Amino acid sequence: MSEAGAPAAAGGGRPARRRRRAMLPALFVAPGLAWLILFYAIPVASQLWVSLQTGNPDDGFTQTWNWNVYPDALGEYDEQLVRSVGYAASATLLCFVIAFPLAYFIAVKAGRFRNLFLLLIILPFFTSLIVRTVAWQTLLTDDGWVVDTLKSVGLLSDDGRLLATRTAVIAGITYNFLPFMALPLYASLERLDRRLVEAATDLYASRWTAFRKVTLPLAAPGIFAGTLLTFIPAIGDYINAQLLGTSRQYMIGNVIQSQYIVVRDYPVAAALSFIVMICVLIILAFAVRLIGTRQLSEAAVA
Amino acid sequence: MPNEPVDLFFERLVEGEPISRRAALRRMAAAGLVVGSAGSLLAACGVEGTKNTDAPAGTAAVNHPKTAIGTVTFSNWPLYIDKETKPGWEKLTGGKLKYTEDYNDNEEFFAKVRQELEADRPIGRDLVAPTDWMAARWIDLGYAEPIDKKNVPNAANLQDSLKSPPYDKDRSYTLPWQSGITGIGYNPKKTGGKLSSVNDLFDPKFKGRVSMFSEWRDTAGLVLLGMGKNPTTASKQDYLDAISKIDEENRKGQIRRFTGNDYTKDLAAGNLWACVAWSGDLVQLKADNPDLEFLVPQEGGMSWSDNMLMPKNAKEYYGAETFMNYVYDPAVAAKIAAFVNYFCPVKGVKEILAASDPELADNVLIFPDAATLGNLNPYPSLGNAAEREITAEMQKVTGA
Repeated sequence: MSEAGAPAAAGGGRPARRRRRAMLPALFVAPGLAWLILFYAIPVASQLWVSLQTGNPDDGFTQTWNWNVYPDALGEYDEQLVRSVGYAASATLLCFVIAFPLAYFIAVKAGRFRNLFLLLIILPFFTSLIVRTVAWQTLLTDDGWVVDTLKSVGLLSDDGRLLATRTAVIAGITYNFLPFMALPLYASLERLDRRLVEAATDLYASRWTAFRKVTLPLAAPGIFAGTLLTFIPAIGDYINAQLLGTSRQYMIGNVIQSQYIVVRDYPVAAALSFIVMICVLIILAFAVRLIGTRQLSEAAVA
Repeated sequence: MPNEPVDLFFERLVEGEPISRRAALRRMAAAGLVVGSAGSLLAACGVEGTKNTDAPAGTAAVNHPKTAIGTVTFSNWPLYIDKETKPGWEKLTGGKLKYTEDYNDNEEFFAKVRQELEADRPIGRDLVAPTDWMAARWIDLGYAEPIDKKNVPNAANLQDSLKSPPYDKDRSYTLPWQSGITGIGYNPKKTGGKLSSVNDLFDPKFKGRVSMFSEWRDTAGLVLLGMGKNPTTASKQDYLDAISKIDEENRKGQIRRFTGNDYTKDLAAGNLWACVAWSGDLVQLKADNPDLEFLVPQEGGMSWSDNMLMPKNAKEYYGAETFMNYVYDPAVAAKIAAFVNYFCPVKGVKEILAASDPELADNVLIFPDAATLGNLNPYPSLGNAAEREITAEMQKVTGA
């Protein structure tokens, strides 16, 4: 086929060549598009398709376009959904509060120890998430030294505990997702041109003003990336709630897992997955708008 | 070519240079793959049910001829065998035993292998160890291969009380691996004295130091006993009532967690003072921490077995049967019982242990006396639809 095609193409002259040039952008887009379709669009569509079925796991599920599954699932599990967003937001905020000074220190002050500190941030990733979280179970036991210390300092009441509480779950998420916040922050702070801060202080900005008006806006891409990288997976996390919490702290991921594996109500599970995805997209859209406009206004001021 | 501008390179690609036959075939195969997967995508319009629509194979005609034994794969619960018994079987039969401890949770394991079973494909295991109610599901759905009893003469050693469970009246498909009691595990030092009743779990003094299994058959069964009902004959509504009582206690913060097998860690660490527990675990935990106690509540406890079962389409039916036969030899069963500490389904083990380890032989949790046995209740059999409804209710309380 190609032997026959090649001479014909060569004889095709300029118009054919131009047409081919026109196809080039499509060719470049194709792999990415194929990826998106195969690993995003098709799964999402199949989730939507399954969510509208009715039946039971023994006899099978058939398509009945049962849209009621969405209000029903939302009504039944709104508590866990709101909780997931709340926990993920708290953990993201905590991650930011911890990671920013950390990233700043590594980027600006660590000097030749920079790579060592970066390695230390990534190091926990060499162990599995489950193992790390189970380790926290051991650390936070009721009779352990952490709880004892907190009790003697008066931060915990005498019959208080850390395990199986909200505090433990949020702390667990914060711990497990910290690198996702710290690394993008580091990347943007490391690129930051120190001379701009110097210039600001030269022009009589206080150190705080220089930080607020120069460092922070320039770090915005890192803050944005870190927030998304932490917040989005944290919404769907269920390991921390499972291992460090109780059913009173369970998140939407726990519900989806139990609906898929224990209850085997696939339509409800699929509907909940779809709802979570929509929530994430909405939050994402808001974030892009918010950050986008702020950056615009800053550009205008400058 | 290396210095060729990228756009020219792609242009050449679009124009189509001579390509080799191999590359052409590869492209065609890729295209076929896409078409094929689109086809299966269209075919998968509904989610198929797990029920095997083929007529279940008769158990009378079962015949697994003696063949050379290859590798027999057994998926069992963690810490459930004395591994010293493995070489014995391998030497006896010339086969190889691949013993894996990946059966952690009945529902989870079922979810893992369900699709293969549904599609009538092998699941890569020759023996699995489902608990009674899950074994019932496998048999009911046609996923179990009947046992060729000619290959398992030692099955005659099965304890009489276990010979005909409701889901497998003549043990055509299953043989108990170990049996156990569901009762209460507790630490008298923490609770400040001995417990006696199921309802002690709801003592407000123990708020936040009590755990229960997330699986309703044990947990709601015990709670029903505390409510004065018989969990084996109780109705669906009784179970739903018990679950709403559990829900109420959970909302008060009485119950710290709903667990699987992982409660042992919390109990040993002192995080739990009292919990729903399995007898064998407590025998093992007691060895490390003599403070811990196991209680068959005055109202009674639940009893269950984990059963050896051969999945359909397994490769080594004969090999699996020789293994079942091997572990039903009282001498081998005694070794396993001494290690595992659940109660042993094989006759004649107590006599063997009486000589080697009299203390174990006298342990009523391993060899329950008639009084204890009389106070135990098997799981109910309420039918798939009702049990699914109860599972969903329980999950709302325990798994969110």
